[in-house]
Order: sequence, then C-alpha cells, then structure tokens
Amino acid sequence: MTSPSRSTFISLAHTLPPRLLRFFARYPPGTHTDVRSNPFKPTVHAITKRWHNPIFSYRRQAVLCKIARQHGVEELLPPSRKSSAYKEEKLAQRAEGGVGRWKRMLEPKGKKWERTLHARLEKRKKAMEEMPALIEKWKRSGHGRGWKEWPR
Amino acid sequence: MAKKAKSRTIAVRLISMAMTGYFKTMVRPRVHHPLSMIKYDPIVRQHVLFLESKRRQR
Repeated sequence: MTSPSRSTFISLAHTLPPRLLRFFARYPPGTHTDVRSNPFKPTVHAITKRWHNPIFSYRRQAVLCKIARQHGVEELLPPSRKSSAYKEEKLAQRAEGGVGRWKRMLEPKGKKWERTLHARLEKRKKAMEEMPALIEKWKRSGHGRGWKEWPR
Repeated sequence: MAKKAKSRTIAVRLISMAMTGYFKTMVRPRVHHPLSMIKYDPIVRQHVLFLESKRRQR
C-alpha cells in the first residue's frame, strides 16, 4: 500500500467535525500521549504536590471518544479511560478473573475455619476409621492401665 | 513463708480421640493413674475413646 499523500490527510481532516478538529489542533495526534502531558489524565503539581483534574473531564472524554470512533480516528486520541481499547482490555482482564484487588475480591481468602475445614474433616474421618481398632487395643491393655500413648 | 500445700485432687482434661476438639473435664486424685474412658462425642454422635491429656509444664 502506498503511503497517502499529505493532501489526502488534509482532505480527510476536513471531513471531521469541528469539535475533533479543535482538539487535534491543540493536541496533534501522536503527541501528549505520556501520562504527564495527556489532557485526559489528572496531574500532580510539581511544587505543591496537589492533584489537578484532567483538562478534559470523563464526560468530555467520552464525547470526544464517541465522535472519534464514529469517524474511525479513535486511535489518534491520547490514551483515555473512555477509549474502546481501554474498555476491551478491562473486559478481557475481568474475563480471566481480574487483576490485583479485583481478583482478591473475587477469590476471598476466607475465614480461618473455612480455610482449615477440609483438613480438619479429613483428620476426623481418619480418626473415626481407626476408632474400633483403638478401642479394642485400649480394652486389651486393661482399660487404660498399661496405656502409654497419652495425647498432648 | 511456707509453700501452699498441694491439693489432693486435680482437674484433668479428657480429650476425644475422634479429633473433634471435644473434651470432658474431670477431677481425679493426684496420685491416681491417668483417666481414660469411652464416652459420647456429640460432634461425631458416637461413643468414642477419651484419653487424659498430658499436663502442661507451668
């Protein structure tokens, strides 16, 4: 495929709605993609360490992403939480059981009695299987008179 | 000051051998041999062997 000429891009750009054109004039595609200069991300002030809201609120980001999606230029916008790429990534993560805190929420650690229940029931079952033999041994030893294996 | 005299009897703990954690507390003379008996364990709902647990060093 031959690379489209500059004039093609310009004519394509003229088909975009003015709202997107204004955005791209201020933030040209390919720039402002890092976290600090991204107008879709909150920033921390270097001196005061105060957090400042993103230049474009989530509502305005959603509008921009929607318009860009309709015109097929969504990937030219800076990374946003409202982009379909981000949403697909999140959906994929959730499908495979989530990550980090979300995963821990889905797979809770459980109470101690819940975590140890299976092992305790197994131990009890094993003890009950050996119980008749143990009682027989105990009876033969004189009902505990010669018994040596006292529990702790 | 003289030490307090040891009591003639002691309280002992008889542990269920069904490993349920259920136990019975009994009083026996100090010089008696350790207690053991077949008693009902309500957790497994059966009569099982109960053995006296060793006393902890204090």
